[in-house]
Amino acid sequence: MFEKSTPEPAGSGQTTPEQSAPDDTARSDRIAVSIRHLSKSFDGVEVLRDVDLEVREGDVVTILGSSGSGKSTLLRCINWLERPDSGSIHIGGQRIGVNDAGRPMPVRELAKVRARTGMVFQSFNLWPHLNVLHNVTEAPIHVLGKSKAEAEALARDLLEKVGMSPKADAYPSTLSGGQKQRVAIARALAMQPEVMLFDEPTSALDPELVGEVLAVIKDLSAEGYTMVIVTHEMAFARAVSDQVVFLEKGLIIEQADPETFFTNASTERVRQFLERNEG
Amino acid sequence: MNASAWQMLLDGAWTTIWISGVSIAMGVIAGLLIALIRIARIPVVDQILVLYISLARATPLVTLALFIFLSAPTFGLSLNRNVAGILALTLNTTAFNAEIWRSAFRNFSREQREAAMATGMTPWITFRRIMLPQMMITSLPGLINEMSFLIKGSPAIAVIGIVDLTRVTNRISAVTYEPLPPILVACALYMAIIGCLVWLQRLAERRANRLAM
Repeated sequence: MFEKSTPEPAGSGQTTPEQSAPDDTARSDRIAVSIRHLSKSFDGVEVLRDVDLEVREGDVVTILGSSGSGKSTLLRCINWLERPDSGSIHIGGQRIGVNDAGRPMPVRELAKVRARTGMVFQSFNLWPHLNVLHNVTEAPIHVLGKSKAEAEALARDLLEKVGMSPKADAYPSTLSGGQKQRVAIARALAMQPEVMLFDEPTSALDPELVGEVLAVIKDLSAEGYTMVIVTHEMAFARAVSDQVVFLEKGLIIEQADPETFFTNASTERVRQFLERNEG
Repeated sequence: MNASAWQMLLDGAWTTIWISGVSIAMGVIAGLLIALIRIARIPVVDQILVLYISLARATPLVTLALFIFLSAPTFGLSLNRNVAGILALTLNTTAFNAEIWRSAFRNFSREQREAAMATGMTPWITFRRIMLPQMMITSLPGLINEMSFLIKGSPAIAVIGIVDLTRVTNRISAVTYEPLPPILVACALYMAIIGCLVWLQRLAERRANRLAM
């Protein structure tokens, strides 16, 4: 299933002092997400073209690229919110979206594979009729069949982790964007996913609220969570990533460890992109 | 008006309330079911439902009530008046409710659904836990509107011999030769019934605003 492997990142990528991620020797060689020959078009426009990507357990992979490069689509294909036209995606060795017989997965089966991933959206997408605590307990109770007490205990731990415990009884409409996003992160973590997917988690936030969300994500990377992050925050990407992927017109044109990527990119296009975004 | 006239008015009001109430309850649920079946777009079934909805919305209640009551024996059914009345009101209100539910479903936030799917909820759990509770709040103003239309249209069932709140005023004035007092009381009672609904509607709107839905 994984006969072809993508090139290993050259360096460790753990170069910034504020990061305390596990060192390389502790890192697993098991593959959390494997993407093979993924292609997708919208109305005849090719958004993804034969994309290959592997995410190892415990790694943080950030996907960069200008808008319209296909990075969000790539992320949304991983949990099948977007259906690719061809290619395959495996989550922890289990193929998503297509069953063993090669047919589209029945919805219940698909939901089970999706539950192995957690997703955080640009616009938070909290459920407004549920308070913070119940936003976090809803899926564990109704998908995993956890007891209310068990789910609430877990939810309170997670809210503590993202600094939202005092707001457990508040409704989403009363929260700031940064607070909503931190709740959304707790909601995704509550399913104890094997990989966390972040779709531009800070793009909809006021600048002064970006930091609190990035801090939470950095904490998660330090705890060894496997994450795939689409972002425009260059400094953050550099600090948190094990691997940086650059997408241009649906193609991966650069893939490297963050040090190499940000200081010594091999393609002109990436150097241009970095100049424009860091200057 | 004497005590027995008051008693008759209250009985009439009760008839209006229970027959409308049963029709509303069945109509709200049946409307939701029809909306869901239509959203599933099952061929043939969908066309039949579209036909039903356009027929039911275009038929006056009086006509529908008469038709049901008079045609039942032809189909070998003996319907009691109340059953025929409830059937007529339900068939009418269900069609309108189905459209209200369907638009609530179609306008539901795609982002929230995706968030539910992303946590591993099946479409059914997503509907039951995430969509329906919010659809109930957002549809309530429209549903309550339809409920008050139904109650105001319910005197139509008098045509098949049910003595409702409007019909009873006729009976009283036939004895007292004073048509005005019973009609005034009937108006006040209708206003009280509709007033309760409007109050519910306001509660729902306030809740929807508070949750920013």
